[in-house]
Amino acid sequence: MNSDTNTDYGHDLLFGTFVTPTTHPVHQAVEQAVVADRAGLDLVTFQDHPYVSSFHDTSTLLAYAAARTERIHLAANVTNLPLRPPAVLARATATLDLLSGGRIELGIGAGAFWDGVAGMGGPRRSPGESIKALEEAIAIIRGIWDTTDRSVLSVRGKHYDVHGAKRGPAPAHPIGIWVGAYKPRILRLVGRAADGWLPSMQYLQNGLPELTEMNRHIDESALAAGREPSDVRRFLNIGGQFTSQRRGFLQGPPSQWAEELTEVALTYGTSGFILASDDTTVTQTFAAEVAPAVRKLVADARGTSRHE
Amino acid sequence: MTNYGHRIRFGVEVLGGSDAPGDAVALAVLAEELGYDLVVFPDQVGEGGADALSLAAWTAARTRTVQVAASRLDARARPASVVARGAGSLQLLSGGRGMLVLGSGSAGEDLGVVEEAVAVIRSLQDTSRSRVSSAGTYHRLADAEPGPALDREVPLWLYGADTALAALAGRVADGWVADLDEVGVEGLAGLNAVLDRAAIDAGRDVREVRRSVTLTSGDAADVSALVALVVDHGVSSVVLRVRTGDATQLRTFIDDVAPAVREGAERALPPGALSSRPVRRADVRARRRPGIAYDHVPDDLVATAVEPGDAAFGKVRSTYLRGGNPGLVLRQRNAAEVASAVGFAREHMHLPLGIRSGGHGISGRSTNDGGLVIDVGALNAITVLDEAARVVRIGAGARWRDVARVLQPHGWALSSGDYGGVGVGGLATAGGIGFLARKHGLTIDHLRAVEMVLADGTLVRASATENTELFWAARGAGANFGVAVAFEFVVDEIDQVGWAQLAFHAPDPAAYLEAFGRVAVTTPRETTPFLILGQGIAQLMAMVDSSDPDVIVSQLQPFAEIAPLMQQQVVIAPYAAVMNMFPETPHNGRGEPVSRSAFTREITPGFAAASADLIRSGASHWYQIRTVGGAVADVAPDATAYAHRDANFALAVMGANAQRLDRWFEPVRRQSHGLYLSFESDRNPDRIADAFPSATLDRLRRLKAQLDPDNLFQDNFNITPARDHTRNAS
Repeated sequence: MNSDTNTDYGHDLLFGTFVTPTTHPVHQAVEQAVVADRAGLDLVTFQDHPYVSSFHDTSTLLAYAAARTERIHLAANVTNLPLRPPAVLARATATLDLLSGGRIELGIGAGAFWDGVAGMGGPRRSPGESIKALEEAIAIIRGIWDTTDRSVLSVRGKHYDVHGAKRGPAPAHPIGIWVGAYKPRILRLVGRAADGWLPSMQYLQNGLPELTEMNRHIDESALAAGREPSDVRRFLNIGGQFTSQRRGFLQGPPSQWAEELTEVALTYGTSGFILASDDTTVTQTFAAEVAPAVRKLVADARGTSRHE
Repeated sequence: MTNYGHRIRFGVEVLGGSDAPGDAVALAVLAEELGYDLVVFPDQVGEGGADALSLAAWTAARTRTVQVAASRLDARARPASVVARGAGSLQLLSGGRGMLVLGSGSAGEDLGVVEEAVAVIRSLQDTSRSRVSSAGTYHRLADAEPGPALDREVPLWLYGADTALAALAGRVADGWVADLDEVGVEGLAGLNAVLDRAAIDAGRDVREVRRSVTLTSGDAADVSALVALVVDHGVSSVVLRVRTGDATQLRTFIDDVAPAVREGAERALPPGALSSRPVRRADVRARRRPGIAYDHVPDDLVATAVEPGDAAFGKVRSTYLRGGNPGLVLRQRNAAEVASAVGFAREHMHLPLGIRSGGHGISGRSTNDGGLVIDVGALNAITVLDEAARVVRIGAGARWRDVARVLQPHGWALSSGDYGGVGVGGLATAGGIGFLARKHGLTIDHLRAVEMVLADGTLVRASATENTELFWAARGAGANFGVAVAFEFVVDEIDQVGWAQLAFHAPDPAAYLEAFGRVAVTTPRETTPFLILGQGIAQLMAMVDSSDPDVIVSQLQPFAEIAPLMQQQVVIAPYAAVMNMFPETPHNGRGEPVSRSAFTREITPGFAAASADLIRSGASHWYQIRTVGGAVADVAPDATAYAHRDANFALAVMGANAQRLDRWFEPVRRQSHGLYLSFESDRNPDRIADAFPSATLDRLRRLKAQLDPDNLFQDNFNITPARDHTRNAS
């Protein structure tokens, strides 16, 4: 691998799952969260599509699953902002973070599926509007959480107008705000305002190499805002299959996955891998055979590069 | 004096805990331990505090019995549509313990917004529609998907001491709660009257709305005043407001005050006045069907009965393949309740009566239009009675996937059908033509005893030594004689089996069928193949009762040589894995399934040719042949009501249109003899003679005259009572 193209933000690696919040069977998603927790993964996440009636309400599911798990962190992947007013979202997330002893993170997106959103009584926003709304929302959320700030919380935005709202509750730990984003304008918002970036492999139209350009938008925007590129952790939602033979990217034995994810980590600076899995065995294999192997390979590679 | 007949409940409202919500949860968990019925979390998102919905969901995960309410929700704080989804998930995850209380309690609250929120939440719970809309300026829906489907709607209460709010509660809510300190007893009486009037004006029954008070201090609780609230003002929930950390008050109130209030109220009111019988909303009652005594459903069935307007109706109305719209679904939890249900059905002889175990049946009408359904799905216990003799008692409502899963760790299996979602009761009263049939016989051949509720409501046990005639009839025609509640089977020692799925290029279905027939009749008993034949393609699923790869391969090889193989997969797996191949899916059948069945001893050229014409006609989308014979044929034809022991093949075909299917199926039927009633949906009386040879049918009709002379159980393959017998008996 050409070291010129290597990117590394120096984060330790996180591994998690992306579990379908299905209501049938009712407790399946909770059980899969428990599986991920017991398997030793770092993170379990659920998509948030309130207009889909066969899915659980993600906020309720997060609370219930958090109460049934012990160690794992939980997040929406990603929260549908247009249907979740930011001040209430901030308080709900903080409430849950306090209840869970600091295990909640906030994955959030500008919104999608606008017919569904509008059908549920939410606003229909253009791409530009939705990004503006997300930026306002992040300011409100951070303001609500920051109880050390004694000033009046005031975000008089185009989409959200919060003035004089009480701050609090303060979360138990610094909750990461992780944004699902693909296009340059929202990537720049990620660089300015977010703690993490949460794209999905399947939505990368030109495959993984696209991450390089996307990273660049985030990095430049972070620097321009006086932040460090490493202030934004890079996640990746992935999908794959464990098979005995090598069939393609993340289609093969765990050892092959480990090599491939190591390469992604070292090439694009990805430090959080979130696997779509509703299957106990797949989750356990990912936790037991892939995660430790990637950690080791990445540590070895980082060690080597430091000594050069 | 006003009392609405509601059972008295005690609750606790947990104040505080914004920065330490864990303290609030701890108090809620303690409340459950102490015996409170309800814990209430007031929402504090308006004041920089904790989110009540998160607290309620978390608490639901940490408790087991207590009802959990998110309360004092400002209707403007969140989209009501999302609140509805959250409440739905809370209800599902908690097993029906969720509750919502809208209304911040602040003066000047915009009740128009509250009313819109109620409309949106109600609409999203109405899963009888495919899309819902609700107009509004603040909360609205436009072609939204209702759901999730719930077993019971989330109770929706309103909070506040305002006249207009009380009136709104009377119009739309399931309950109303006010702070006693704020309204006082006289104020409560006045608001209660406003609520009643509004309810009556809206065409509701005043008992639809429960009344509740919140006490700000338990210390000052005056028992006689509380008794008066219950007896004279219809208050049925008393909620104590407690700050986190104040566990002492919590204990005193439930230990001293609550029992005294309960006793006092019971003494003052007529016996039995405080019931737990639900009062359904007017809009739910409006969907009732004629001819059903809804208000006289036996007490033991009330809690689980489902009417057309109920939230659970969407989940119970239809079966796997048949769309239905029954008037009442009774869901029993034990044999005594089944007897109650049969008694209720006897009073409704004018209506169709469906008996449902798993709801998978094609011929058995386990749903209907406007009639009753006795659903024994909850009777699903599976218990090993005798480990050494391998005797297992299985509830009629269990699914075969679960039976297989429970038996597997013992190294046992019981041949069932070809699909794990099928219920035990329907299959085990008809026959059970499964993947182990050729080696181990039909499911009914393993039956040692059956427990059944007869038409007169008596619970009987039938076996080789008790009620022997019924034991004979139950094995092949059971649905005509009663509602089976449990079976005792002797199961087989089967650990791992060979499981093959083969796909063939079969452009000439007649040739394929003939070749398949030749191979199948000579194959050893260990192998039971099922064939699905389509246009150009044949799919063979076969189980080999052996874990020896050599045996499996050698027995499958002759089948593999019938035609060019397109795909093959052969694995060694537990029987339970085969029964659990497909995930459980909700039953959303539509319309009326059209299915035909035939037995044949051999696949003659004529049978094959007629079948090929049927397949090519497109009149059938499903053509399946199951092999029988082997151990099935070891049992004498008159040993059970299932008499077609000499058949080697059981055919089932399905189509969309009965007339069209029959045109092509008749030539096949002419080449066959007899049918398996579970796969025959034709209600032509001639079919009964195909299902049962005349000697069997005569014997069944005599027993029917004895056990069900009025023909209560007729909505299946109906065996009419023998008339001469009735005469003799009278």
